[in-house]
Amino acid sequence: MPQQRQFNPYSENGGTILAIAGADFAVVAGDTRQSEGYSIQTRYAPKVFRLTDKAVLAVNGFAADGNILVKTVKQRLEWYRHAHAKDMPLRAIARLIQTILYAKRFFPYYVYNILGGIEEDGTGAVYSFDPVGSYEREACRAAGAAQALVQPFLDNQIYFKNQKPKPGQSHPTHLPLDHVLSLVIDSFTSATERHIEVGDGLEIYVVLARGHSAQGLSNIPGAQEISQTDEGERVFVVRRDLKKD
Amino acid sequence: MEVQFGIVGKGYVIMASDTNAGRSIVKMKTDEDKIKALSPHLLMAASGEPGDTVQFSEFIERNLRLHHIRYTHPMRPQSAASWIRRALADSLRSRKPYSVNLLVGGYDASTDSPHLYWLDYLGTLVEVPFAAHGYGAYFCLSLLDRYHNPEANLEEGLETLKRCVREVQKRLIVGLPDWKIKVVDKDGVREINLDL
Amino acid sequence: MSIMELNGGSVIAMVGKDCVAIASDLRLGNQALSISSNFQKIFPVTDRIYIGLPGLASDVATLRERFRLRVNMYTIKEERELEPETFAHLVSSTLYEKRFSPYFVEPVVAGLSKLPTSTPESPKFKPFICGTDLIGCLNFAKDFIVCGTASEKLFGVAEGLWEPDLEPEDLFETISQTLLNAVDRDAFSGWGAVVHVLTPDKVITRTLRGRMD
Repeated sequence: MPQQRQFNPYSENGGTILAIAGADFAVVAGDTRQSEGYSIQTRYAPKVFRLTDKAVLAVNGFAADGNILVKTVKQRLEWYRHAHAKDMPLRAIARLIQTILYAKRFFPYYVYNILGGIEEDGTGAVYSFDPVGSYEREACRAAGAAQALVQPFLDNQIYFKNQKPKPGQSHPTHLPLDHVLSLVIDSFTSATERHIEVGDGLEIYVVLARGHSAQGLSNIPGAQEISQTDEGERVFVVRRDLKKD
Repeated sequence: MEVQFGIVGKGYVIMASDTNAGRSIVKMKTDEDKIKALSPHLLMAASGEPGDTVQFSEFIERNLRLHHIRYTHPMRPQSAASWIRRALADSLRSRKPYSVNLLVGGYDASTDSPHLYWLDYLGTLVEVPFAAHGYGAYFCLSLLDRYHNPEANLEEGLETLKRCVREVQKRLIVGLPDWKIKVVDKDGVREINLDL
Repeated sequence: MSIMELNGGSVIAMVGKDCVAIASDLRLGNQALSISSNFQKIFPVTDRIYIGLPGLASDVATLRERFRLRVNMYTIKEERELEPETFAHLVSSTLYEKRFSPYFVEPVVAGLSKLPTSTPESPKFKPFICGTDLIGCLNFAKDFIVCGTASEKLFGVAEGLWEPDLEPEDLFETISQTLLNAVDRDAFSGWGAVVHVLTPDKVITRTLRGRMD
């Protein structure tokens, strides 16, 4: 019998990410647990990264691939800054990520990405990707271990699926920031309750377009401002605890 | 590749089946009747493993006949379908299960209503307004969604059936030229010759 | 090809204030092909007990018949009505009998059990739900039970929408929204839904229209 050896270059590190776009803001969140099988490798491994003053990227799946991907994207954005003396616009970052992902079409980065931020026209946007670079702009998206738990909840609460508006009224196309934040927190506490790979901590990045007040953040304790552009875009991060069991 | 259809209309059930009997790549027979009249108001179309279909159909036929003789009345379609389902379900967990898929169509004389049941070899039973077994299901269930009308008279029902048969003849890679069509209604069971 | 996913279908049960609800989708499929949009998976056992049977459609029918037989035998022998707790154990033992060639069904029981303080003049009930796996391991949850091909999705939505002590109409809305939004993200469930809300004095049954895709 010939001896067989097999090296598996991939692993799955659990966790869940989620992003929601508002009219003039975007919220991108992820839990901070990193696991392999039934073992927790660390309770704090960030999955959400600030790319520019108006773009935030959440990366979920195989952590090693995710880290390299974020590193690559950040490097490409730095080169862009040096070449053009400005930040790359959000829709261009989305296309850049597609190119980077598809370049490895036959040995893919095993990651699901969600990009959130502010477009050049000042609207909040969310772009979601598959591991080989297919992407689309959406109003909300969940990915990762608890996607199946969170996405249908979002369908109901963000898109108002299966809900009929009151006669003469219509459903809002975008929700206010405080409402979105409470939905994000609810989604993650629910996912933590029912999914073993979700928990420990929650990081919520909030990107506000110029002129948007941080009003919605007022009733969320511990919101911390990370950056502010001259034009007025602001990025905040909210860190919260999730159950650790 | 067998194809069978069942369609319920106003006061009747149409059952249709191809008439091919083959083995491997050889066509053995082109006039096989796969729709059995189980009782005065009950039809059953069987498909699946060639030996099993005949064996099982005759087993069902004799038992329903026995019931008719013992109790002096035939079983109602609903009861017959349940009984057949149980026979298949018991068979499934036996040493040698029958692999037979069925359509059972009947006219319930006590409520004056037509009924059609879809059964598979696992013992799945469901009453449906129209049904298909074999590849016909993939080709024609969407057609039936569009054109089936429970209030249609027999002529309209047969038109819908024709659409289905023609679709299968047009798109299924195997040619199924000859079909056996039977109808059950308040007057009982009869065969219909159709220009397809 | 998993036997539990051959026919598709999902069931959910929820506890409310002095009431329970149980709901299911109506699809019957053969893998990806939908056969019927009116396949009932929930059956009344007594006036105060309902059982939902998601899983292999053949075993759904077989178990329904088997439970009916066993419940009738119990009622005749004991000369009293069956309580939900008792029925849950009957379900469990029926499934465990087939430990090594199981029925491919994960039942959900919802009922109102009579309290010891209950009298014929003023009956008092306690909501009861429970689920089991396919070999009869009982799960007495205090909030909700989900089962079937959309169970993961049902867990997520139910965990987000459910709250304690819902009145019958609010419970109906909660279970309906939970089910519809969960099955809309599941390819094997959907094609309409049915909801039963059990209250001390009546059972409310409603059929819901859902997405047909």
